[in-house]
Amino acid sequence: MFIKGVGMTKFGIQEDPSVQLVYEAATEALDDSDISMNDVDAIVLSNMDIRSNGERQRHSASMISSLFQKKMPIIAVPAGCAGGGTALWTAMNFYKNSSYKNMLVIGFERPIANTSKRVTDEILMGGERIYEQTEGLNFPAQNALVAQQYMLKYGATMDDLALVAFKNHKNAFLNPKARFYKKKVTLEEIKNSPIYASPLRLFDCSITCNGAAALVLSKEESDVEVIGSAQESDFLAPFEREDLTSWHSTVKSAEEAYKQANITPNDIDIAEIHDAFTSVELISYEDLGFCGKGEGKELIRKGYTNLDGKMPVNTSGGLKAKGHPISATGISQIYELTKQIRKQAGDRQVSNVNYALAQNIGGAGSTVTVHILKKAK
Amino acid sequence: MIIRWVCETCNKRWIYPIEKCIYCKGVITKQKGTKLKVIGITKVNIPSPMHPIVPYNVLLLQDEHGNRLPKKTMNDYNIGEDYIEKIAKTNDAVAIVKVKYDIYEAIKEAIGLLKGFEFDSKDKILIKPSIVTAAYSYQAVNTNPDFIDALIRVLFDFGIKKENIIVAEQALIGSDSKDAASKAGNLDICKKYGIEFMDISKGPFKEMEIDDYKFNVFKEALNRKIINCPIMKSNFQLGISGAVENLSRLVDEQTQRNMYFDDITITLPKLVKSLENIFTIADATNGMQAQGPLALGEPAFLNLVLAGKNIYNLDTTFSEITMLPLTRWIGIPAIEKKNLEVIGNSMESLKYPLKQANPNDNGHPDIKIIDGKACPACLNIMNNITTRLVGLRGDEITIAIGAHIKESELSNKDRLVILGDCAIKSLAKTNIASAAKIDEKTDSVEQVLLMKKLLTTKGTPKITPVDKVKSKMKKLLSKVM
Repeated sequence: MFIKGVGMTKFGIQEDPSVQLVYEAATEALDDSDISMNDVDAIVLSNMDIRSNGERQRHSASMISSLFQKKMPIIAVPAGCAGGGTALWTAMNFYKNSSYKNMLVIGFERPIANTSKRVTDEILMGGERIYEQTEGLNFPAQNALVAQQYMLKYGATMDDLALVAFKNHKNAFLNPKARFYKKKVTLEEIKNSPIYASPLRLFDCSITCNGAAALVLSKEESDVEVIGSAQESDFLAPFEREDLTSWHSTVKSAEEAYKQANITPNDIDIAEIHDAFTSVELISYEDLGFCGKGEGKELIRKGYTNLDGKMPVNTSGGLKAKGHPISATGISQIYELTKQIRKQAGDRQVSNVNYALAQNIGGAGSTVTVHILKKAK
Repeated sequence: MIIRWVCETCNKRWIYPIEKCIYCKGVITKQKGTKLKVIGITKVNIPSPMHPIVPYNVLLLQDEHGNRLPKKTMNDYNIGEDYIEKIAKTNDAVAIVKVKYDIYEAIKEAIGLLKGFEFDSKDKILIKPSIVTAAYSYQAVNTNPDFIDALIRVLFDFGIKKENIIVAEQALIGSDSKDAASKAGNLDICKKYGIEFMDISKGPFKEMEIDDYKFNVFKEALNRKIINCPIMKSNFQLGISGAVENLSRLVDEQTQRNMYFDDITITLPKLVKSLENIFTIADATNGMQAQGPLALGEPAFLNLVLAGKNIYNLDTTFSEITMLPLTRWIGIPAIEKKNLEVIGNSMESLKYPLKQANPNDNGHPDIKIIDGKACPACLNIMNNITTRLVGLRGDEITIAIGAHIKESELSNKDRLVILGDCAIKSLAKTNIASAAKIDEKTDSVEQVLLMKKLLTTKGTPKITPVDKVKSKMKKLLSKVM
């Protein structure tokens, strides 16, 4: 299956309603693929039905039908922050038993439309209600406990986490679609930012924002091919799992994606990793097989994943600094990797990208998708 | 304590109460971990609606089986430290336990944390739930039937026989108690365990005089240990309906009316003096907030059980954690927060503001309520009317209810409706002019029709013969439907 076109809105705090965000991203993806809506056979979309944004629009699939004035199969696959990746994975699997030629895959979210407390509450609902929400275990706290276990076990430090944030902010500075585009953030600012949930600081957390992203998936050959697509779920609450410092769903979905692609982690040239928290990026280096257990800190310390490193990670700025509009995030990762493979990434362009990997996570490793793209032409 | 539901055959484990293994069909048993160690801790500085007070800590606890659990606390701990749940030091302590899907375990844990309360297999028990109106428990001030179910099982564990347990309650005056218990789901629980449900309004009663005040007290309440099971809720007259208020329905109808007429904040503490053996296990599994019951109240989803012997301490604790106001009971010394012994979970760690009840939040910007400490009968009428007319706009109307209305409160009210026998009686000797008086004998459908006319037309409309026919038709139809 091939990526024929990609599109995304700027990630930010725009007031546009969801329909406009989706329309903008889909139009760009269709223009990019050089096909029209007439050529789209089905749509897979993802969205979390945020209730506090005032849109009150539960039936998103039919809303999309109205938006595009088209009657066709449309399915919504909400999966928390892994919504975008899950939508792509679903579309990939649809193709296996269908005659569809072109499918549009969309992720969109508009959480920033209410007070910070309400938005925090919306995101809190992604955690286990009785054991986590009632104990004040919001996402920063949940990931802080994981990060702490990781740091205790492997000797990673808060400075290592700061390096992850710094790298991703530097990349976002170069990305016109990023929330932090042209906004300079220094390492000192990161290290001096307030503690949100110890040991995580403000700048260890990704930034929630509004946005949409879309891609055209096609059987027709194009310059970017999806050669691996896997999804794995794990128990909702991290405390239930045997190991807090390695996320089974990443390990398993990566294994499957590499197997489908018939490559190894060493073949990957760039990756978009779900850095909802800086600690997650370090843990994911290991779970994705880019280094051994406990060695993630070495990759960031040695600049291995910097834009000019051996294997750049989150050239877009990642969730950390490009922004994290929940269900749109997974598709926006594919947008970045496609642009990189095509050499359309502007100032943040990495040379010679043949294989690229996207990891999209819902919850604290509860749902993970891994996609591997290959330069096809 | 950490609980896991574990398959005896294949050893799979769940954090949810599973009854049968979905893999091997094996039997499930509860694995309880009591030796807890702190293996992680995070100090959280970001407030959220459910957790407005920061900083707080979340501990990651691990038990002797390797099972883990996050736990919020305001106290500081170190990694590697033992986590020990403190047991009550005094008889006045209040235990607060979070329900982790299993109300039965939460009730047992709450009892276990308290001092000086023990059940004997020969005990005769009266379970006093709150069942005020015919509605599902989450819609009204009605105790969750799952809560009653769990409590009965706990009592059975103590060896108490079903013959020695009764569930007794009376709905708000004007409502049928058995209908209410049936709709609330509690009658089915009684039937399931072969336990008698007694309608308190039917007696028998014993006349008692306490501190120069006469009460007709439900006899069974004097002969049994009372397990007081209020649902914790906001209340516009008392701040909260909780452990104290729930006992007000252990008397006959007339006593209830008198108690409110003579000021419930004075009379209810006197009644409580006659009830020696009260243990409260309060249902805050759902709880309720805002101006309920029915249309304008809403479940609060608190997932808590509160327990204790001291009903005043228990209500004060609830008021502290929900930030709801609390009435001052006359004759009862003010309870200072610093003197409360709260175990299980600290008040600070649970603080979460609930919506207060306000009779003027009644869905009608044009209906204002002046409450003179109305009795449950008048409140029931007021709720019935305002609930059924939600959203209807018109000229502003003031409804006066209750016996303790000051004339000065009613001056300059052009369109005044005096509602309920207490208000009519107390204002009879004044020169207050009203657009209508609606007494308790007026048919409930006619009450609504008249209020609708008052709201939407000028002058002083009356109930007409056509209204009476409409009322009869409506009742007939409701029986057929």
